[in-house]
Amino acid sequence: MRLFKQTHIDFMGKRRRWFAISFSVIILGMISLALKGIGWGIDFLGGTEVVVQFSRTVEVSEIRTVMSNAGFSRAEIKEYGEASRILIRTPEQSEGTTVADKIISALSTSFPQNIPQILAEQKIGPKIGAELRLGAMYAIIASLVAIMIYIGFRFKFIYGVGAVAALFHDVLVVLGLLSIIDGLTPFTNFEIDQNMIAALLTLVGLSVNDTVVIFDRIRENQKIHRTMNLFDVMNKSLNETLSRTIITSGTIFLVTIILFFFGGEVNRGLGFALTIGIITGTYSSIYIASAVVLEYVNRRISKSPETAMLKVKKSGELVK
Amino acid sequence: MNPYRNKVILILASTLLGIGYLFWNPISRTFGLSDEPVSSGNILPVKLGLDLQGGMRVVLEVDIIKMFDDLAKNKDQNFDQILEKVRTEARTSTEDAVSILKRNFSEHDVRLAVYYGDLQEQNDDAIIQKLQNEATTAIDRAIEIVRNRVDQYGVSEPTIQKQGSTRIIVELPGVKNQSQVRTLLQGTALLEFKLLKEPEFVSKTFEAINGTLAKLHGVDTSTTAASSDTSAAQNDSLATTTDTASSITSSQTKSDEQWRKENPFYAIVQPPQQGGQEGYVLEEHRDSVLKILSLPEIQKVIPADVQFHWAAKPIMAENEKKIFALFLTRKEPELTGGVIENAKVDFVLNQPVVNMEMNSEGAREWARITGANINKRIAIVLDKGVYSAPVVRSKIPNGMSQIEGMDVAEANILQIVLKAGALPAPVDIIEQQSVGASLGSDSIQKGLFAALLAFVLTILFMMVYYNFSGVVANMALILNMIFLIVILAGFKGVLTLPGIAGIILSMAVAVDANVLINERVHEELATGKTTRAAVDAGYKKAFTAIFDSNITTFITGVILYQFGSGPIQGFALTLMIGIVVSMITAIWVTHIMFNYIMSGGKTVNFG
Repeated sequence: MRLFKQTHIDFMGKRRRWFAISFSVIILGMISLALKGIGWGIDFLGGTEVVVQFSRTVEVSEIRTVMSNAGFSRAEIKEYGEASRILIRTPEQSEGTTVADKIISALSTSFPQNIPQILAEQKIGPKIGAELRLGAMYAIIASLVAIMIYIGFRFKFIYGVGAVAALFHDVLVVLGLLSIIDGLTPFTNFEIDQNMIAALLTLVGLSVNDTVVIFDRIRENQKIHRTMNLFDVMNKSLNETLSRTIITSGTIFLVTIILFFFGGEVNRGLGFALTIGIITGTYSSIYIASAVVLEYVNRRISKSPETAMLKVKKSGELVK
Repeated sequence: MNPYRNKVILILASTLLGIGYLFWNPISRTFGLSDEPVSSGNILPVKLGLDLQGGMRVVLEVDIIKMFDDLAKNKDQNFDQILEKVRTEARTSTEDAVSILKRNFSEHDVRLAVYYGDLQEQNDDAIIQKLQNEATTAIDRAIEIVRNRVDQYGVSEPTIQKQGSTRIIVELPGVKNQSQVRTLLQGTALLEFKLLKEPEFVSKTFEAINGTLAKLHGVDTSTTAASSDTSAAQNDSLATTTDTASSITSSQTKSDEQWRKENPFYAIVQPPQQGGQEGYVLEEHRDSVLKILSLPEIQKVIPADVQFHWAAKPIMAENEKKIFALFLTRKEPELTGGVIENAKVDFVLNQPVVNMEMNSEGAREWARITGANINKRIAIVLDKGVYSAPVVRSKIPNGMSQIEGMDVAEANILQIVLKAGALPAPVDIIEQQSVGASLGSDSIQKGLFAALLAFVLTILFMMVYYNFSGVVANMALILNMIFLIVILAGFKGVLTLPGIAGIILSMAVAVDANVLINERVHEELATGKTTRAAVDAGYKKAFTAIFDSNITTFITGVILYQFGSGPIQGFALTLMIGIVVSMITAIWVTHIMFNYIMSGGKTVNFG
């Protein structure tokens, strides 16, 4: 079975338009991040978090009153997956685990007919939270640098820059969209915890994988068609790999969307980030990674004295 | 003969080996090769992380500042004020606690020697050195204290790990009573010296418990008394095999059963030998013994001034089962560990010994105690667990005692335990996480369902889209899954939720490799090559893309493993394993399969 016969799409010709679209999506996301923000998970924030299961549904506002009376006026209270499951989180710090004990005893005394069962409980000291944040940040930065160096070494330096630019794009788009969609429906409560960091890293892996496959074809075609300019080589390579790109990304999309819908509360954030991530990861390989390389090469050609004789015909397309 | 036959056989054989390894536990039980009881811990080939299994994870930090407080002498208001400042600073600073202390004292122009000096040592630098030593060894004491308590509490498969120089990670799968565990982990360590009861008394008490228990079970006591002779014979066989049931022939089985019925306590506890002072219990019977000892009827026959204590460390039996000694001591400790000044391991005639020093007050008491109990045994008890029960050879007048008759490892532990009594390393819970088993199983069920659904759909798609070559790719994908889990199990890796994300990513990478190859073969076929030539060219040309993209992803994995913390490391580990495996299965294995089929003269449909 063949879905895609030979295609001749002019991907690179429309790159400026897509730059603009990417840019506006990122800006929107950044605005949302700045205004609305996105919650940090308890593991980065520090504090105490308790997930309880009531046998009957309890109003969140009722629990809020109970928590305020118990001295946790700053507590964050929300439904966790279903109406009778409640997540309570407070930044309060104290020695040992007295905060969790207080929360639980306050709930038990306030709802004697409906004593909640504790599903999960977590306490993170302020020092640990800071350390984890730092560790995650180092890990992400170090892997971006390593990717840049490896691709720069295997291809050319600018290709490494293009790949990393695409990765930045993907992470920013996903973070922005997470912030925008967070809290819009009861099923989409997201926060940046260690699982979400793992999701972002998965997306970095998928995106760079896709980018390298395309770069590899560009490298190969440059060797075969020595006289062809980069613009045409890129379009040719993108068309040749299109079938593979769509099949691979489509399969992964299928997997992540299943994770989002059927993976349960814990996997939902992961599934969402990956579903967005595979779309932007595929897109960015074409319109960010390859396009950045093309823009850079074009500028250098127009600046360098030997090629000053070349005429620029259409947007970026060079003809001898 | 097909030139690829040997390679195909190699692949099939390693697959079968892998499957055998994964399912060894269920298989061995089915064929009666192992009689290990079935539990969630051994039915799955890979251990599940706490986020999937449910349980409790606690990170403890040694409270160095509190230790400084405990160590200081002649404390006054000035000292308390400076230490309070040190404590506030240490809470947020990444600076070493000892240097914070040093800096604050010199800022206040107070010499450390005022509080930490002794007759020989008045120099501040030397004191700093001493405090630094105490701080670095505190973690070992704390770990031993925590391990002992967790063992005494009886959690199955706990993990206790050192993290950095001041932290301990404790993971307790399946633990429900969280507040109890928390108090257990945080309390101050208590070291006691307790006198073992004399042999006749111990035997009598064991007999009394056995008799009372038999009566409780409704067995006539007269037969119990009559069978006391046989019990001695039974004990011998228990001592040699520790697993009487399997070694006794069928003609004896009935009398054995009868004996067990009449001696319900001795059925699970081997009472002390002639002149011995401790009973022995198999690990699996510990809980039952504890239950029996706490029965009110049994409590009545145990004299009020004595107490049972378990050994802190088990003895290994020949069949690798663990046996715990059960001691009977006086309830009142003769002395508590606060009097210990120092303990260290020395060698006498190449044999390790532990030398223990006491302060003058302790030495006076110790001289009286040892003098009154020559040739009796005194147990060294930390938080209820007996670490050693040496015999008192002579009166010890000066507080300098020597304990001998153990190997180097045991001596080291004993030294740590004795110091823990002198200087309890206080710990604070800085991170605590517990996942109820219900939430854990909920996320497993949904996660597994999602993964399975995704896996099946991917396989179906590959089959439909790529036809026969899709089937080959699917076989490689299944092989990939098997080997990934085998290697993870071999590394004793733990499967967590982020770990599953890593598996999904590596599966995606493996599918991509086969998609790349198949697409390439299609392109080659389109240029008019024969299938054989197209396959070879396709593999050759697809290789650089697969190699480069996999290496980049692998590099990410390595870095994440280096820098990341627990959950992120789990992700990185499965990802790295998955990529290495997929390089083999998706490229090498599928190529051999195609070659094998084509060498057999058949053609391959690439869809």
